[in-house]
Amino acid sequence: MTRRVAITGLGVVTPAGNDVPAMWSRLLEGRGCGAPITNFDARGFSTRIAAEVRNADTLPLPPDRKLLKFGNRSHRFALVAAEEAMRDAGIAPTPADRHRWGCVVGTGMMTVSFDELASVQREAAPAGELDAGKVLAEATANDPMAFCRSQSTAGVSLLMRRFGIAGYASSVHTACASGGQAIGTAMRVIRRGAADRVLAGGFDSMVSPVGLAGFCLLSAVSPDNDTPERASRPFDATRNGFLLGEGAGFVVLEEWQSAVRRGARIYAELAGDGNSLSSYRITDSHPSGDGPIQAMQRALRDAGALAADVDYLNAHGTSTPMNDRSEAAAAKVVFGERVGAVAVSSTKSVMGHLIAAAGAVEAVVCALAIRESTLPINANLRDIDPDCAHLNIVRDAPRQQRVRVALSNSLGFGGSNSCLAFRHPEETAAIVAKEGA
Amino acid sequence: MRIVITGAGAICGVGASPAAIVDAALEGRSAIAEIASFDASGWPRRHAAEVTEYNAAKLVGDRKLLKLIRRSDVFGIYAADQAIGAAGIPAFRDALDGDAAVAFSEATGCYVGSGGGAFNVNYDYFPLMAETHGDMEGFGRELASTVNPMWLLRTLPNNVLCHVGIRHAIKGPNACITNHTTSGMLAVIEGAEAIRDGEAERVVTAGHDAPIEPQTILYYHRCGLVAERELRPFDAARDGSVLGEGAGALVLESEASAAARGARILGEYLGGGDAAEGEGLLALRDDGDGPARAIEAALADAKLAPADVGLIVAHGNGTRLSDASEAAALTRVFGTSMPPVTAFKWATGHPLAASGILDVTLGLEAARRRVAPGVTTLQHLDPACAGVAVAAQSRATRGDIVLVVCRGFGGTNAAVLMRALPG
Repeated sequence: MTRRVAITGLGVVTPAGNDVPAMWSRLLEGRGCGAPITNFDARGFSTRIAAEVRNADTLPLPPDRKLLKFGNRSHRFALVAAEEAMRDAGIAPTPADRHRWGCVVGTGMMTVSFDELASVQREAAPAGELDAGKVLAEATANDPMAFCRSQSTAGVSLLMRRFGIAGYASSVHTACASGGQAIGTAMRVIRRGAADRVLAGGFDSMVSPVGLAGFCLLSAVSPDNDTPERASRPFDATRNGFLLGEGAGFVVLEEWQSAVRRGARIYAELAGDGNSLSSYRITDSHPSGDGPIQAMQRALRDAGALAADVDYLNAHGTSTPMNDRSEAAAAKVVFGERVGAVAVSSTKSVMGHLIAAAGAVEAVVCALAIRESTLPINANLRDIDPDCAHLNIVRDAPRQQRVRVALSNSLGFGGSNSCLAFRHPEETAAIVAKEGA
Repeated sequence: MRIVITGAGAICGVGASPAAIVDAALEGRSAIAEIASFDASGWPRRHAAEVTEYNAAKLVGDRKLLKLIRRSDVFGIYAADQAIGAAGIPAFRDALDGDAAVAFSEATGCYVGSGGGAFNVNYDYFPLMAETHGDMEGFGRELASTVNPMWLLRTLPNNVLCHVGIRHAIKGPNACITNHTTSGMLAVIEGAEAIRDGEAERVVTAGHDAPIEPQTILYYHRCGLVAERELRPFDAARDGSVLGEGAGALVLESEASAAARGARILGEYLGGGDAAEGEGLLALRDDGDGPARAIEAALADAKLAPADVGLIVAHGNGTRLSDASEAAALTRVFGTSMPPVTAFKWATGHPLAASGILDVTLGLEAARRRVAPGVTTLQHLDPACAGVAVAAQSRATRGDIVLVVCRGFGGTNAAVLMRALPG
């Protein structure tokens, strides 16, 4: 019999709140988190706003100071969010089963911090061109800790060390699809029996000079510096770019039967993973929705669900002109005549785009929507884009509604598309009972 | 379900195909030499295994593309093209009509292991930083007039996935794995799982890296990981690893998919395993528990016993602790009946994220020739590595099944088993 996967623990650090209850209430309130950037002096940038994690200095970090030296800002978000998820699940690896625990994360684009980069520039590239000989005497370039923090495996290493995980370990990066792909990979690892439990999620912080610069150069971020709380307005006719966010989201995934046996609180079944490559252009999505269509259809097929079972779509909904149009077109193809019956919202309207963490945080949102039978708002929607008008968008107020199946899209630069399918635990229990009979 | 291997590609300092690299190893040639890409005179460590005859436009056959990718991506795209071409995929797909071509694309996956985390991509900001002297406001203001607008795209760790997808119309399941050294091997394992799951009928897997740059060399040295001159796996006098660069790629598919094209079968993917020690980014256990569990997991996945293995390609990165603990793992699993062991990093250097999949392509090629290439730099086996059946001279393998081991930061370990068809 196929091994199913239960979600039993949730944790987040987001601009909308530094734990799950705080984030959820802000999402229901539907108030945007965009504000002038405080992480650094962004006054000269064409976009000077972002959705930052507030009070990052007072996050409840683990007490191990030596461990923290191995992490940067996004790793601290990861540690705090993962801690909440593990506590929430009420289970931790033991010496006897730590080999059966895995850890799969979506990581941001790892590199040294801007201050460290600036130090290398001052010493080794004073005129703008690197002089390799001068690198030898530069402090950052000789600091093994700066190196460790810059590594793509810094996050997964910290998390395994912190929680005593010693099984399957992987880090993935498919730009904005990273978090979704990490959780999908983790689900498959449990299904095939390579692990029984996996701590899975994503973390990122690109609210830094180089991170913001990359998006400004591409004109991908909203330039609405005077109305930051309304800058992210997915599916609105006047949308003009995404709002850069930061943070982390984690879930504890467990093999279904073992979760049931220990009486765990099961938020939802992580029922399907759909994954496709658009192979169209690097930054553009196909206007027809080609790419996301296949991801959504595969997620449904993988979950053994029909389009008619879906009650909620947590859209990728970045608020860029192209993404939202393409995604709306995809929904029309996937749901067909029933497209108006599927409630849709993009929670990026409130918390911005958390890049490599987005898919993971939005998986948490889907689990909460199922558990609470409540759909969060697509904030800031005033005039719907005629190309998106067929969508049944949750606007103005949260909606009370039981969700049988929820989908979460994460569509990345480079054309990687991830769609995760979540099923109400009662629906899954009924299916399992039927299978057993 | 049988998963067959129908194409392989590779590039590194000693050659630009799996066959050329294995030839070089059999001749005792190594790419490790004084660094040519920057002036390393006066550096405490001056050696690397570079691709010295680097012509990016020739490697990817598309000059315009070079504006959008970096050196590591060039290697990855080259190796993937080679594997896909060897598998006969482009000609076959081009002959399909509309719907069949779409179905073929959607049943083809792509799994890439990528280095990411390169330092020099950020050096594109140095002219702007030099001009603005720490004035952030000026940095933001002058940005658009100084830095290439496509900077972020050139920097994406998932570039190879994206461009291989576009070049070959691949639209199936995919991943870009950025898990340090195990990235490329995890791409092989996850790609094979996509076929087992029925998500894809065939997958292109690749791994690439280009870490030879001043800041990286210095960091590895400060972490105590770089050899002064030579990379000497399992030798008593080994003193560290030497960075390399390059890529490896494989095409894996279901038997039915290969049969439909009449594709030549190079070998069979039998199983894979992954196990971390999780004791920190740079920490390694000295008992080899992680690599031993990864090998055991791969054997279990392939339903094989240690005695079935005919050739082992060790990670053998030449550092004191990694080789000694890997030796402990190999003796734990294979005891006194160990098949011939080889390692390739003495010739290829250590191309980090590419290393696992590069070794997979080389292990497959060597096993097809039924030869365990000698480790030329081995003089005296370290007593701490006693029991590892490694030799300076080339020997015959014990059979057609090859095990490849890969280890990375974070105490991560992976292992893959293949059956090699005679070539």
